[in-house]
Amino acid sequence: MKNNLSMIYILAIITAIAALLLSITYNGTKDKIEEAYRQELIKALNVVLPEHDNHPDKEDINIDGKSVYIAKKGGKLVGVAFKSTSSKGYSGDIDILVGIDLNGKVYGVEILKHAETPGLGSKIETDSFKRSFKGLGKEDKIAVKKDGGVIDQFSGATISPRAVCEAVNNALKFYSEVVVKNPQLIGGVK
Amino acid sequence: MKLSVMFDGIWKNNGVFKQVLGTCPTLAVTTSVKNGLGMGLATTFVLICSNIVVSLIKNIVPSKVRIPVYIVVIASFVTIVDLMMNAYLHDLHKILGLFIPLIVVNCIILGRAEGFASKNGVADSLLDGIGIGLGFTLALSILGGVREILGNGSILGFNLFGSSFSPAIAMIMPPGAFIGLGFIMFVISYFEKRKRG
Repeated sequence: MKNNLSMIYILAIITAIAALLLSITYNGTKDKIEEAYRQELIKALNVVLPEHDNHPDKEDINIDGKSVYIAKKGGKLVGVAFKSTSSKGYSGDIDILVGIDLNGKVYGVEILKHAETPGLGSKIETDSFKRSFKGLGKEDKIAVKKDGGVIDQFSGATISPRAVCEAVNNALKFYSEVVVKNPQLIGGVK
Repeated sequence: MKLSVMFDGIWKNNGVFKQVLGTCPTLAVTTSVKNGLGMGLATTFVLICSNIVVSLIKNIVPSKVRIPVYIVVIASFVTIVDLMMNAYLHDLHKILGLFIPLIVVNCIILGRAEGFASKNGVADSLLDGIGIGLGFTLALSILGGVREILGNGSILGFNLFGSSFSPAIAMIMPPGAFIGLGFIMFVISYFEKRKRG
């Protein structure tokens, strides 16, 4: 009986110590992790938005439950960026950030999160692929060449680029149907 | 304290090639040398810490609850590595993040806690952790290297053969992991058998 009780005590004490250590680590790294994610967003915003001098990560407005980041230069609107998702990736959702300039054309695309096959689908992260979206608008056929579009697929990986195309198309649709009608942006975008 | 404990862990008792333990992370992350190296070092850190702690508490833990205690110790260190990596090595964490929690169920670590650290002193357990950890890192790097060269035509992200080389894409997909590991183990046992005569 005594042995059985000591079993409980020792397990309880060890888990308590573990919990304490974990909470200390969590508190110690919490700010740092948040900062790392914020830096990641800022980096992505700087890539997808035209040259700006404000802080788009702080100047976001909520449109239909989506954060729309606004880039301004000298107080004048130069572009917006927001997240878009495709669930048609090879494994899991692909989250991208799309920047759109005032002409309604894609200025830049950045891949935020994906779980595509390393070395195959993960090539959607290459700069040359992301650059191929620049300047495209909703009248362009944004699809992989296999589907009759203008975007290069990779040998052995068509699904991932196709999913990115879908996300970009969704973004352009959201832009032309929702964002441009937003009263806070009227006059600035067309 | 015997240094041979450490060297045994690196090759003679190599967790992947000789004991064939921890194959799940081995097969999953070794699409490139960098991933293999990162996973190996993260596992080494957890292994060293858990070996030390298990060895320290071996006399106060009743044998009936030893496995839950080991798992709590290992899981705590894994979570600490996960948080630390996310905070300070954010880019690597983005690649390995999915696999870090898998370290908990890596049977090399539980195997060393149960089979070595719970029967030996702190110093030996530390050396065993370093040895087995480095052996694991070595195995993952070799397999990652083979798969990266054959499947992507590069090593550590550096292109080897130029653009005319068409890589064997299957090697960086899951089947390539099994094929690669199988052939490496074949080569090792072939040469060791020949040495023995």
